[in-house]
Amino acid sequence: MKYSPLNSNTQEKIDGLSIFLFIVLVIIGFLSISSATSDVNQEFYSLSPIAVKQLIWIGGSVVIIFTILYSNVVVIDYFTYGFYAVAIGLNVAVLFLGREVSGAKSWFGFGGIGIQPSEFAKVATAMALAKYLGTYGIRFQGAKNIAICLLIFLLPMAIILVQNDTGSALVFLSFFLVLYREGLPGFILISAAWLMFLAICRIISEATGISSYYGYGLLLGIGSIMVFFARKDRGVSTLITFIAVVSAAFYTIVGTVYSSILQQYQRDRIELVLGLKSDDRGLGFNLKQSKIAIGAGELWGRGYLKGTQTKMGFVPEQHTDFIFDTIGEEWGFVGATTFLLIFCGLLMRIVILAERQSTTFGRVLGYSLACVLFFHLSINIGMTIGLVPTIGIPLPFISFGGSSLWAFTLFLFTFLRVDQVRK
Amino acid sequence: MEKGSKRQIVYFGLIVFVFIVYSIKLASIQLGEVPYKNMAINNALNKITLYPSRSNIFDRKGKLMVYSTQMYDLSSFPYEIKKLDTGLLCSILEIDLPTVRHLLLDARIRAKKRQKNNAFNNSALFYANLSNKQFTLLRENIYRLPGFYIESRTDRQFATISAPHALGYLGEADESLIALDDYNQPGDLVGITGIERYYEKQIRGIKGVKTVWQDRTYTERGVVKDTQFNYPSTAGPDVISSLDFELQEYGRLLLNGKKGSIVAIEPSTGEVLAFINNPDYDPNTMVGRERAKTFKALLRDDQKPLYNRAVKGVYPPGSTFKTVMALIAMQEGVLSPETTHGCGGGYRLGSIRVGCHAHGGPLDLRGSIRISCNSYYCQVFRDIIDNPKYGDVKLGYAALEKHLRSFGLGSQLNIDLLGESRGNIPSVAQLNRRHGDRWKSSTVISLSIGQGEILLTPLQICNVAAILANRGWYYAPHLVKKIDGFKDTAWDRKYKIKKFTTINPIYFASVIDGMSDVTKPGGTANGTGINDIEICAKTGTAQNPHGKDHSIYMAFAPKDNPKIAIAVLVENGGFGATWAAPIANLMIEKYLKPGVETSKPAMEERIKTSVIK
Repeated sequence: MKYSPLNSNTQEKIDGLSIFLFIVLVIIGFLSISSATSDVNQEFYSLSPIAVKQLIWIGGSVVIIFTILYSNVVVIDYFTYGFYAVAIGLNVAVLFLGREVSGAKSWFGFGGIGIQPSEFAKVATAMALAKYLGTYGIRFQGAKNIAICLLIFLLPMAIILVQNDTGSALVFLSFFLVLYREGLPGFILISAAWLMFLAICRIISEATGISSYYGYGLLLGIGSIMVFFARKDRGVSTLITFIAVVSAAFYTIVGTVYSSILQQYQRDRIELVLGLKSDDRGLGFNLKQSKIAIGAGELWGRGYLKGTQTKMGFVPEQHTDFIFDTIGEEWGFVGATTFLLIFCGLLMRIVILAERQSTTFGRVLGYSLACVLFFHLSINIGMTIGLVPTIGIPLPFISFGGSSLWAFTLFLFTFLRVDQVRK
Repeated sequence: MEKGSKRQIVYFGLIVFVFIVYSIKLASIQLGEVPYKNMAINNALNKITLYPSRSNIFDRKGKLMVYSTQMYDLSSFPYEIKKLDTGLLCSILEIDLPTVRHLLLDARIRAKKRQKNNAFNNSALFYANLSNKQFTLLRENIYRLPGFYIESRTDRQFATISAPHALGYLGEADESLIALDDYNQPGDLVGITGIERYYEKQIRGIKGVKTVWQDRTYTERGVVKDTQFNYPSTAGPDVISSLDFELQEYGRLLLNGKKGSIVAIEPSTGEVLAFINNPDYDPNTMVGRERAKTFKALLRDDQKPLYNRAVKGVYPPGSTFKTVMALIAMQEGVLSPETTHGCGGGYRLGSIRVGCHAHGGPLDLRGSIRISCNSYYCQVFRDIIDNPKYGDVKLGYAALEKHLRSFGLGSQLNIDLLGESRGNIPSVAQLNRRHGDRWKSSTVISLSIGQGEILLTPLQICNVAAILANRGWYYAPHLVKKIDGFKDTAWDRKYKIKKFTTINPIYFASVIDGMSDVTKPGGTANGTGINDIEICAKTGTAQNPHGKDHSIYMAFAPKDNPKIAIAVLVENGGFGATWAAPIANLMIEKYLKPGVETSKPAMEERIKTSVIK
């Protein structure tokens, strides 16, 4: 190991900017939750039971923060795999002992409060991955290493999928982004993007009834033209042919899966997001109400506690997954973009901090934090404004809930603590 | 920079990309054209109309005739209802499933109309006028019916069923009414006829608003604390009608079993004292849930109970018209009270003969009224229009027509009801069309005795009686005396300005003397008079080409300082003296001696119990 956490002389100041942005976000979150769950007719500012609960969660976070700040980094390092094992264990246990919340069996219930182990799995996975890649002599190369890396985050993902919590499971895909920094070839990500593009094209053609032969025609046509120009370079023309064939095959598979394997409700949901369907009363109700909430904010917002869309329950999950609607409705375009700016600022700060790490452990942990937060942010807000499908994941630091807040606090401060003691 | 750290640019790029794309999307939602804010407001607020009580309508003595009752409707957000417990709804309202669907569809149509009207929300009436049982059950179960709420509004109850045509009925505002006046919303009750219609804007009061927060399930979550969104309704002001409750009820009793009208006016004011038609309908069946059903049945009824014959029915005035002829002749200087004409059982002129009943020889003006001599008026009529002063029968007739029109005949009297008929006073042009260009006084001789082309409404006949009572002037008849707090110069111009006839008041005395003889021995209505009341009257018998003659009678009393002018028309009643005269005289007695038993119980009994087929 390159660093010696025992050497307290190397300790520097913890990153103040990150902590400041964190505090700002938690306060925004608390105020938004408080507003979204407030009584519409309240005479004086009073806290709703949910806001009070969130306050308790925040109090818990403070405890977590100080625990981390006053603990020795070597402890973190030492317990990483154990923590990972516990997280995996809890996520398996929840399958048997958990209670079902809206179709997903991902909650432990303790009286009135629930703990969602999948939230903690993210930070545990990140640490495990960081530790593995940070192990002396291990790099993201070779089939065995790559396989272990993938296993580290695909295992919890699979377990969470079994819990039927698709949203939380999908979050683990963000580790692919982390691996890019560690040497995952860019073409894999580009290929993934290309395949996604193909899939969307095929779905549009399926949903709108446009013949899929246009797709095949274009693939064949463009492929042939490219092969023609690259005819002198056997390698390139073979590669292009290969890509075209694979693309065409994938294109066919998507068509088959979409029309024969997916259920109607799944197709509806996809088509809704792609804007191929407008259904204001059924599936689209949530999206439409979410857009109304944000749209009602106009430039300056309707004012704090004045958002009716959220507190009246027109927006679903107004204090959890759709908490951004409260920000959009009450603080308008100015508030919403300012919020985005703050969040993106934190993300960039984390990338900067990650990049300045001298250890692979620190860097991977930092990038994991940045990528997981980035995934949450873009999926959650994208969902409220209709850019991505309705996938139920919380907005970190903002959404109501102890598990999410504690897990991300743990994540952030573990990283900041690691950053603090970097060489 | 090593390869790995170069890749950090990609991460910054991704973050900036998401920030930009999401900001653009946010701008398109928050700064775009879609009125999301209004949609949010429409979602969260339900503007519940607080329906005011309509005016109470009193009779001239302060007796209540119509009042408002509270009724409850089930209203809904027909587009928001997703999970409807139809079973519950069916069992509470005691209706079947197809009916629920039908009602929902109706509510949607109403809501659509309301939206077109830029109404605040998209709720609409679902089921009007809940019974007590339905109301109680719904109040308990309304939370189980998201998207529904109970709304209260007012309906009508009639303390007297004797004045349906004057008071009018309410109905649901139709599209044309809504288009005319955006105060009205689909489902609102508005006056359709009578006073209720004419004074709708005064009587309806002012709607109030209660705005409540409502959540996603369209359940109320408290009242919005903003006076702009909450104000109480204002009840319609008290309306004092000119009608006399007792007289109205009595008249209805007398007209029982007969087709016809009674109209009575206070001559000194033009206020209508009685306004009765038979057949009529029970206005208390035209309220509540039965309204539409009753209305359909009444429309189909071949007795035409909705027909307001007092202002819409037109009849030849018959001999009652002789009074007017005599006045005009005197004004034209072709007749004096002393003028006598022989009779001989009829008036002959060449091939034309106007019959007359047997009576003693030459009569003066007074006698001609008492006896109602046809020959006398044929002569008078010819003297008017063949007056050498004009030199041409048409000029002579034009002079006559001008006088007739000054009595308010041939045009609407402008009573405060809609749909009043003008009647008909033939113009020269009309007579030309009818009789060819070369008609003479003898051609149109039947006009002299109120037959032929002359048509009057019972109201106009009564107004003639009022003019006679006033000796030459009248106020436009009206059914409303006063509305609290209502000041309207147009209304005052209509009803507070005296209208003068072209007849000099000095000529009235002899005609009125004749009229005062009518109920006395030797008069045409002898035996129908009332002791101690000097009734001035004129009988009439209107020829009816469709059946038996109509019995007509107009009168006023007392002779000096008259308090009441009245016209009675009994269809197919034959002579004026047979039915119309006793009815009118009993009415006069009732009005002038209120609370006193009739001096003519036998006559009253005969009238009450007789039925004319």
